[in-house]
Amino acid sequence: MRRRLPGFLLAAPAWAWLAIFFVAPVGMVVWFSFGYKPSIFATQATDKLSFDRYAEVLSPTFFATFQNTLWVGVAGTVLCFLIGLPVAYWMAVKAPPSRRGLLVALVMVPFWTNFLVRTIGWQVILSPEGWISTALQTVGFEPLAILNTRGAVLLGVVYNYLPLMILPLFVAFDRVNGPLREASKDLGAGKWTTFFRITLPLAQPGIIAGVLLVFIPLMGDYITATVLGGAKGNMVGQLVASQFQTAQNWALGSAMAVVLIIVILLTVAIGAGIVWLVTLPIRASHRLVIGAPDTAPASVSIREEVAA
Amino acid sequence: MTTATTTEAEATTTASPGAEAPGTVVIDAVTKRYGDSTAVDRLSLTIEAGEFISLLGPSGCGKTTTLRMIAGFEEPDAGDIRVSGRSLLGVAPYRRDVNTVFQAYALFPHMSVAENVAYGLQQKRTPKSEIRERVVDALDLAQMRGFADRKPTQLSGGQQQRVALARALVNRPSVLLLDEPLGALDRQLREEMQLELKLLQSRLGITFVFVTHDQGEALSMSDRIAIMRSGRIEQLADADTVYARPASAYVAAFVGQQNFFRGTVVEGGAVDSAHSLVYNMSAELPVGSTGLAAVRPEFVSIDADVAAGASDASNTARGTLIGVSHLGETMQYLVQLGDDQSLIARRPSPEAPQLAIGDAVVCSWRAESVLLFPADDAASASGYVAPPTV
Repeated sequence: MRRRLPGFLLAAPAWAWLAIFFVAPVGMVVWFSFGYKPSIFATQATDKLSFDRYAEVLSPTFFATFQNTLWVGVAGTVLCFLIGLPVAYWMAVKAPPSRRGLLVALVMVPFWTNFLVRTIGWQVILSPEGWISTALQTVGFEPLAILNTRGAVLLGVVYNYLPLMILPLFVAFDRVNGPLREASKDLGAGKWTTFFRITLPLAQPGIIAGVLLVFIPLMGDYITATVLGGAKGNMVGQLVASQFQTAQNWALGSAMAVVLIIVILLTVAIGAGIVWLVTLPIRASHRLVIGAPDTAPASVSIREEVAA
Repeated sequence: MTTATTTEAEATTTASPGAEAPGTVVIDAVTKRYGDSTAVDRLSLTIEAGEFISLLGPSGCGKTTTLRMIAGFEEPDAGDIRVSGRSLLGVAPYRRDVNTVFQAYALFPHMSVAENVAYGLQQKRTPKSEIRERVVDALDLAQMRGFADRKPTQLSGGQQQRVALARALVNRPSVLLLDEPLGALDRQLREEMQLELKLLQSRLGITFVFVTHDQGEALSMSDRIAIMRSGRIEQLADADTVYARPASAYVAAFVGQQNFFRGTVVEGGAVDSAHSLVYNMSAELPVGSTGLAAVRPEFVSIDADVAAGASDASNTARGTLIGVSHLGETMQYLVQLGDDQSLIARRPSPEAPQLAIGDAVVCSWRAESVLLFPADDAASASGYVAPPTV
């Protein structure tokens, strides 16, 4: 007799992969974060467990870097959203359908070049000796002093992560396009009402995907910050990398990584909560619950009224 | 002096488009092109207020484009469209006093049934208490009251159809546009909805413009049917006229079924086909031209050919029975007359003759039931005069 294999087995390779290469390492990081660095030559020890490394992470030195990271992460994600939304909308709704494949390919073009090389490209452009700076100086401006600041990091991350915002938004808008938007206009809604009541709510999964795809890797990014940020544009990703690679203090690096994960989760939760709260009155005003029909339907007078 | 002025004023009023009653739709020499192809070609059509009109035709005949121009989703390249006497040129869809029931219903999946129906009223800033009342009324009208708080995805196709109808009617438009709204329903439900739609329309008195490729649907519901072909109206008439006196071979073939005979027109309005002489005295076609004679299967009687090879009377055809099928109330017979000509006969089941496949049969029909048309090369090229199949 043939026995059917349970469906979840289809995902078994992926589960195994995640268990070995994601769950286990993260578990080890959490475990190390309660330990300490016993000597110059050892990276970590866990014979004595404490929260001391967390206290260290939250000390003013590192705390400033966390603030900076959060600022770049939130500002970068918001900028990517504000810039990517109209582009994705235009691609999915306004651009001729025959051109959409080409447009998607164009959005992907930056990914054909190495992430590091792209970022170094910006270093060249933004440097005080770069062409923008030279051009500005010829018309009497000071040399450009944006490199090695938080602004340069922000510019770099928006550039690097914008496609990750545009693509899911494009897919979401593309799916909403067509009869639903026409139905909205047919029922008397203008462009903006149609956008905010039909297109945007139905694109919600794409918006969530885009925001997470940008925010999470951005918070852990250390290449952009290293290349463009210098000392002033420091981010947590750099700190973690230096603790593991340079200082060889795995305990402290692990604590930083764990705090970063917590910060990311909290920020996402708080962000979702804010959106939920802000849209609450709007959603409430459109809500209409009829309830179960009355026992005696007053249908006769009603039909006359509709006919009138 | 005073009298003259009054008359003049009256004359102006009558002549101006403002005199068109609310709910009247006037399509005035409208043309719509997509690149090289002309979807709608100088189409003119006046739809009376409160009329149920069907735009009937095969896909690509321009019927949906016409509807979309009334709704405002397409702008005509030339001509004018007026609803209730007001020109709609350049008027955005959301400012038009028309509502549409879409082919795939287009219900908003993130809103409940009631919220879908309320959407149009909310756009008009209707007071909340009134919205609630009117939504309930519209849902009652569509018999969907009990489903008010469900999501559209929890409804069957027929139920979604009713919600789409309620969502459009709640706005009390002067014109309701229906774009093949019954296409996705199974046959039984479709027939039920046809009846309901017709009842609803006559009760509400709203102008219905109904687009369909289903001739049965058009025949059963419409006050008038506009049969469309290549962006133009081939015939505009009520169901009886369209069925009994089609204006062209195209209409004759599209509405109901026809047996066609191609031949040369001879004296007395007859077509001399290879297999039988088909005539109708009332037809007027130039002698010597090529004509198409049409006779509907239900007018053809069939019997066993007891005198094979006997004299060929007119309006008679001899052949071999190659197919019999039971259609319920009628029996349908497929008769092979020659290599390239077959004939369908249909008899009411109780009086249907008992015939076996392979039998020699003789078919005949009355001269009055024959329609004569000039041969329509464009129509025959499209293949609709092909031998009928069972």
